[in-house]
Amino acid sequence: MSNIVVFGGNSHPSLVNQICDNLGIKPSEVKLGKFSNGETSISIGESVREKDVYVIQSGCGHVNDNFLELLILLNACKTASASRVTAVMPYFCYSRQPDIPYTAKGAPLISKPKEVYTFESHPGTPLPSVLTTQKPLSHNVPENITECIIESAEELPDGLKQPLPKRLNMDTNLHKSPSQSRIPVVPEREENSSDLGSLFNASNAGYKLWVAQAGTLVANLLTTAGADHVITMDLHDAQFQGFFDIPVDNLYCKPIAQNYIQYNIPDYKEAVLVSPDAGGAKRAASIADALELSFALIHKERRSQLPKGPPNATFTSGGGLPISSHPLLGSSLGRSASHEMSHSSSKYVQTTMLVGDVRNKVCIIVDDLVDTSYTITRAAKLLKDQGASKVYALITHGVFSGDALNRVSQSAIDKIIVTNTVPQEKTIEVLGKDRVQVLNVSRVFGESIRRIHNGESISMLFEHGW
Amino acid sequence: MSANSIKLLAGNSHPDLAEKISKVLGVSLSKVGVYQYSNKETSVTIGESIRDEDVYIIQTGTGQQEINDFLMELLIMIHACRTASARRITAVIPNFPYARQDKKDKSRAPITAKLIANLLETAGCDHVITMDLHASQIQGFFHIPVDNLYAEPSVLNYIKTHTDVHNAILVSPDAGGAKRVASIADKLDLNFALIHKERQKANEVSRMVLVGDVRGKSCLLVDDMADTCGTLAKASEVLVDNGAKEVIAVVTHGIFSGSAKEKLRASKLSRIVCTNTVPVDLDLHILDQIDISPTLAEAIRRLHNGESVSYLFTHAPV
Repeated sequence: MSNIVVFGGNSHPSLVNQICDNLGIKPSEVKLGKFSNGETSISIGESVREKDVYVIQSGCGHVNDNFLELLILLNACKTASASRVTAVMPYFCYSRQPDIPYTAKGAPLISKPKEVYTFESHPGTPLPSVLTTQKPLSHNVPENITECIIESAEELPDGLKQPLPKRLNMDTNLHKSPSQSRIPVVPEREENSSDLGSLFNASNAGYKLWVAQAGTLVANLLTTAGADHVITMDLHDAQFQGFFDIPVDNLYCKPIAQNYIQYNIPDYKEAVLVSPDAGGAKRAASIADALELSFALIHKERRSQLPKGPPNATFTSGGGLPISSHPLLGSSLGRSASHEMSHSSSKYVQTTMLVGDVRNKVCIIVDDLVDTSYTITRAAKLLKDQGASKVYALITHGVFSGDALNRVSQSAIDKIIVTNTVPQEKTIEVLGKDRVQVLNVSRVFGESIRRIHNGESISMLFEHGW
Repeated sequence: MSANSIKLLAGNSHPDLAEKISKVLGVSLSKVGVYQYSNKETSVTIGESIRDEDVYIIQTGTGQQEINDFLMELLIMIHACRTASARRITAVIPNFPYARQDKKDKSRAPITAKLIANLLETAGCDHVITMDLHASQIQGFFHIPVDNLYAEPSVLNYIKTHTDVHNAILVSPDAGGAKRVASIADKLDLNFALIHKERQKANEVSRMVLVGDVRGKSCLLVDDMADTCGTLAKASEVLVDNGAKEVIAVVTHGIFSGSAKEKLRASKLSRIVCTNTVPVDLDLHILDQIDISPTLAEAIRRLHNGESVSYLFTHAPV
């Protein structure tokens, strides 16, 4: 391997070493640090003139620090006359672009660690098998369904007042229309109503909040810094490739995942692959197809209910759709609270249901990203409630931010399988070696770097495990 | 075309300065939510329409832990405004981050200041207002107009009113700042002296030689920034050793990182004066601050109205 230079950023040194081991070279010398005023400082220790340079940096940890370090490294190589500079980003930061400021419960600010987690969606997950069919409960329905309903009535540990759940009182509830019982109202958070109240209150009606979508920006910044090529894995949105004007090689974790299922999950032929949300259905379905397994889907529906007449709303201005009053969970600036907002404007409505049969089956939840872990922990609970015998979670990028690890450790997930695109030392520490399996992606990355360097096709990496 | 107006947006880096500018301009700060997701990615929400407006985003380079966060915040805010159809976006960056990494002083050293300039343009910035760039050549890194304001008029006012100006001598702590100091000395009709330093590593000062006579004088050490304060502490020592009556340091950007506080406390400086381009939380009785928000506010007003900004290079608005 001549003329190839591989630099590693600060985010994931062990992956850098493994990739270099696979390539049979040593990571090139680079000093990464900070000046005393906090500015990132780098110093490249060897010549890169006319070399093929690869800079490996994952979008984890202190994301902005690592991202700027990557940009500065790319730029330094470019200005030092490298012939080609490739950014290798095993996990691509800012690839998930939520379209509401903070998903109702999805990606909140760092939440306080809690002692107990319920993994209920807010409000409790309805039981589709009961509610949709509207059959009277017959004797063969497992008892635990009733239990779980009652459990959802408990007050949630984070101070949320659960809306009075429609207790599945066998007599009354079943006669109600499913749409009523299935679409409960997400409670308002007290702590929300801080200074953001002014930002999102009803007097703003008519203006849809403009949420920055950093995806294009991040792509453009990489190009500006001098990246000629990007290698990444399992982009959250495949469309993301289109944001770039340079080639992007999106590697897939699928072959590795398939391999794992085939060789490590006993009786995998009987297992059910589950996508925890509609967005990941394709991903899960393609693995299910390849292994000829059955497939189930968890459907999350989130609607905002139109307010009948919020107290402070002025509909004169534009009269557009009212915005949600509480998409932001808490705020970092603790200014004076304005409580009007918590009672004004619209309310979010959320419902989760399982499509498919998982009773007495081994379930494998497949997703590309676990961040706050709300999605998969809830999915796991739902699956267990529906009678799944064992729940595996197969994840490409285990970011596990906030108190996600604690949530996972208390969840119904029996085993979590995650790749090392993001460092997983802490995951193993918290969950224990038996509950975590870390899949190594360094071979795929090493091989793709080798192929790109030699100008060979990398499409075979998409299908075959490495 | 509808009449467009000034929209002031502020990042998280210096809310105090943003508020002051907004007060001077009489324009309230627009509603923006700049937060961090739990995975430490930055999230920006703009709470009101900025379509076809003249947008000014105030964000300074500061914070030992957060300087890159603030930079990303700024870039994402600019991008958000761009995609929200703002007519013109001006980044107001009182202290330009990475300004000192402006040259390839070693093989393969990054020219980060140039990179930052490119990133700002890529994000969609139309105009930059900054203050006392470490090297004014950084303006040339941009393809968009950069207004490099000077703190000098405000500093002159301060010197005239708050120091013993008749018995003063201006001192430049290094050769690079000689021009800046000479210009102030000319305007005050004072003498100036220079300290020549031999630097071996960044943030480390070795030997200092004074050029000029400071005996019995009140010395005004003028520089564009005070970071670790090693230079200032050593320079004040050299000046006192050479018979200076007192030493007052006047800097534009008071970054005060690392052990600056201890160094300043142990130093022979009788006063340290900085502007509020960056937030300062030094709890030192010798610290004094100059408010430069009127200059920034006036620059914004003039820019918005299409008036000349050069008046501000020589005059400090009140």
